[in-house]
Amino acid sequence: MKKRGIGYAATFYGTGYGNGFPDESRATVEINANGEIILSVEVSDVGSGGISVMWQIASETLNIDRNLIKLQYDNTSKMLDSGTAAASRQTYNTGNAVLDACKKIKINIDKYYNKVEIIKNKKVLTELYQKFISDNQELKYEGYFKATTSQVDLETGIGEPYWPYTFGINRAIVEVDCETGKVDVIDVVAVYDAGKIVNPVLAEGQIIGGVSMGMGYAIMEEVNVLKGSIKNCNYSDYIIPTSKDMPKVTTYFVEANEASGPYGAKGLGEPAMLPTAPAILNAIYDAIGVRLTEFPATCDRILLELKNKGV
Amino acid sequence: MIKVTMTVNGKLYTREIPPMMRLLDFIRDELKLKGTKEGCGEGECGACTVIIDGDIYNSCMVLATSCEGKRITTIEGISGAELHPIQEAFLEVNAVQCGYCTPGMILSAKALLDKNINATEKEMKEAISGNLCRCTGYQKIIEAVKLAQKKLKKR
Amino acid sequence: MKTVGKDIIRPDAYDKIIGKAIYPDDIEIEGMLYAGVKRTTIPYGRVLSINSEEIKKVPGVVAVIDYKMIPGAISHGVIFKDIPTLVKDVFKRVGDCLLLVVAKDKASLKIALDNVKVEYEEYKGVFTVEDALKEDAPILGDGSNILYDIKVKKGDIEKGFEEAAFIAENFYHTQMTEHVFLQPECAVSTIDDDGKINVYVATQYPHYDREEVAKCLDMNEEDIRIINTTIGGAFGGREDINPQCHAALATYITKRPVKVLYSREESVISHSKRHPMKLYYKTGVKDDGKLCALKVRIYGDTGAYASWGMNVLRKSAVHATGPYEIPNVDVRAQAIYTNNPYSGAMRGFGAAQVPLAHEAQMDILAEKLAMHPLQFRYLNAFKVGSVTATLQELKSSVGIKECMEKLAQIDNIQLDKDVRE
Ligand code: FES
Ligand code: FES
Repeated sequence: MKKRGIGYAATFYGTGYGNGFPDESRATVEINANGEIILSVEVSDVGSGGISVMWQIASETLNIDRNLIKLQYDNTSKMLDSGTAAASRQTYNTGNAVLDACKKIKINIDKYYNKVEIIKNKKVLTELYQKFISDNQELKYEGYFKATTSQVDLETGIGEPYWPYTFGINRAIVEVDCETGKVDVIDVVAVYDAGKIVNPVLAEGQIIGGVSMGMGYAIMEEVNVLKGSIKNCNYSDYIIPTSKDMPKVTTYFVEANEASGPYGAKGLGEPAMLPTAPAILNAIYDAIGVRLTEFPATCDRILLELKNKGV
Repeated sequence: MIKVTMTVNGKLYTREIPPMMRLLDFIRDELKLKGTKEGCGEGECGACTVIIDGDIYNSCMVLATSCEGKRITTIEGISGAELHPIQEAFLEVNAVQCGYCTPGMILSAKALLDKNINATEKEMKEAISGNLCRCTGYQKIIEAVKLAQKKLKKR
Repeated sequence: MKTVGKDIIRPDAYDKIIGKAIYPDDIEIEGMLYAGVKRTTIPYGRVLSINSEEIKKVPGVVAVIDYKMIPGAISHGVIFKDIPTLVKDVFKRVGDCLLLVVAKDKASLKIALDNVKVEYEEYKGVFTVEDALKEDAPILGDGSNILYDIKVKKGDIEKGFEEAAFIAENFYHTQMTEHVFLQPECAVSTIDDDGKINVYVATQYPHYDREEVAKCLDMNEEDIRIINTTIGGAFGGREDINPQCHAALATYITKRPVKVLYSREESVISHSKRHPMKLYYKTGVKDDGKLCALKVRIYGDTGAYASWGMNVLRKSAVHATGPYEIPNVDVRAQAIYTNNPYSGAMRGFGAAQVPLAHEAQMDILAEKLAMHPLQFRYLNAFKVGSVTATLQELKSSVGIKECMEKLAQIDNIQLDKDVRE
């Protein structure tokens, strides 16, 4: 017999290294003789869309078409240190450094070009470059951002360990097969506050990917370690969701503006996976009345719990 | 060494190769076509997907010598000056994140739509179920296949 | 706004859909050698001998490198430099790197690595946090098996539970998980005529890699270049050093371009894991539905090396309440060494484990209160001005109630909003 259940879970996530650790990002922006803007920034795009985010923030701030902005993000001898692509910190921290660099050059651009229309023409930039040269303006500007957090006391926990925080809630509907213990996740609604969303379609991609990883965490994935040795080292025995396992995912963003973020943005990469697993586990309880306390909720564990409960 | 002749992306190739060479290595190392990826080497992830005579295969599980006289399509072979509609669709709906699964996904989608332009969503999910993606959660990939289907029907 | 907030096609997507995006394994260089490491197969012990001399004689082998040949630091780590680049004598996990072999092609490398024979003296290891905390447990860390111990206290926990109408008390056990990003680790290194080293690698932090490679080779950071290729997923699994130093070291010694490529199996064995955690949760709620007390104990199995273990458990402690205001809190979280694979960064980073517990507790209490689980969460959720368990005031951008309102609207649930302020 298959039983349906519905579950909710809410989470929060403090972004950045936190705990007063120097969380710094740098970026440089430069105008060149070819009529291009060169944005150098250490943004490791692990698939997250970080490159696009930096590109969009620069284009918005400079009021220059993004196709005239060239990004340099891959070589340590050509970019300054901006820290890790981790802790969901790139949009907020490194985005702020890009914003800072762009604001600096923009002050000087405005002296020569002060129109509302976006600069789309290379010629305009070449002329700008020449004016920069003849007026002896700097061609290259460095942006910097440091996140503000403070170290927590190890005995009391008092402190401001992270900033800013991203929030999310998921609602999951599952179907549990009481004969086999198999859980099908049918539908997930995922609502997040990650501040201003820089690129909605990319952000939605992060969420759906996060839901899939959260689903794996809830019902499939487990590294089996015996005497320190991993027993499942391949995709045949470390099971992750496939296209056939995925529920329908609907994503919404409520954008609670964060004044210290670039255009009000916060981080998103990690928060994207947090509420899904607990929402699924709560839905399983709602469906069959047994609550698992050891994870993941594999068929075997569910059958065992059902048996223990005498269902 | 064994002599083998096959057509890859419309071009005929003859090479002398070790008998146990995998098709994946033939494509990547002999022909230097690096778009076909290796994610597991055990037939489990689909990153190495290629089309052989219209059907998809994990090229890590196929011996190159078994492809004598066959027609192989890799990611490099599906578009010319213009992108293939499936590629366009992947761009347009953001079906790409890290991109490592993408060539395999696109080829699985192509093999499906070549055979059945009226494929249902269920058939699409089935068709890419051998291609693992750790980043996207698949939904946008399915959206892209649907969009490509529309584009191809219009042609 | 013209660009921010718009669905722009990401600039890196084009190369990815035509198969032209370059990941490290797609790089081939004339005269390139292949390198790989022999890894430990037992969890804790000491190396007595390795048949390095024999391996040198395997056809196709160009160099056999052990820890003595490393010019600089022989270990690395994001906080503590405790992970051996090549083991000196004692090692603490399965998968530690013993010997770096460089060969002219993949096939010779495989034969050479298969023929490496290691004699160990095996030590008794510990594999659970309970065993690691026992008096007679072998000490894996710096004088103790506790890498990190943090307490978070707010209000008066005794008084808090006295006020409770309902209490939920449970143990939870979260599992170890793995990133399985699709692209296994790979690095290619080259050397310039002036001796500078270039490492092509898919990494989360090029400047960190540069620092570690420079330390390993005892060179100036300016003489090392890290080139970040297209990255085939990461999720935290590319934060610690893996093939970077080995590739650079092999190039440094042979003066040739070198590729190090992992199989899927080696990828899974080598990099960090998500901390398995044992969590004790006791949550109290008043009869008006307001949370009044929370006591939490968290034991994180941090495995053999520190990696980000401290930061992960700190994150767990800070996020143990969930996004709810609770006046009385008593949390303690510990990162504990064992001889298991080392735990470190994985998407969610300590804030992924605690929700499995705090959100179960929320549902249990909602049921006792006979309140809708969404309403119960809404009643307790943070808002602007809320004070967290670490006494941090949330001054702006606290959208959790709005998220819940949106969900209620979608699912047609009537939320009692009077309780909002
Ligand atoms: S590499 Fe062939 S299926 Fe994974
Ligand atoms: S996009 Fe990264 S694996 Fe699919």
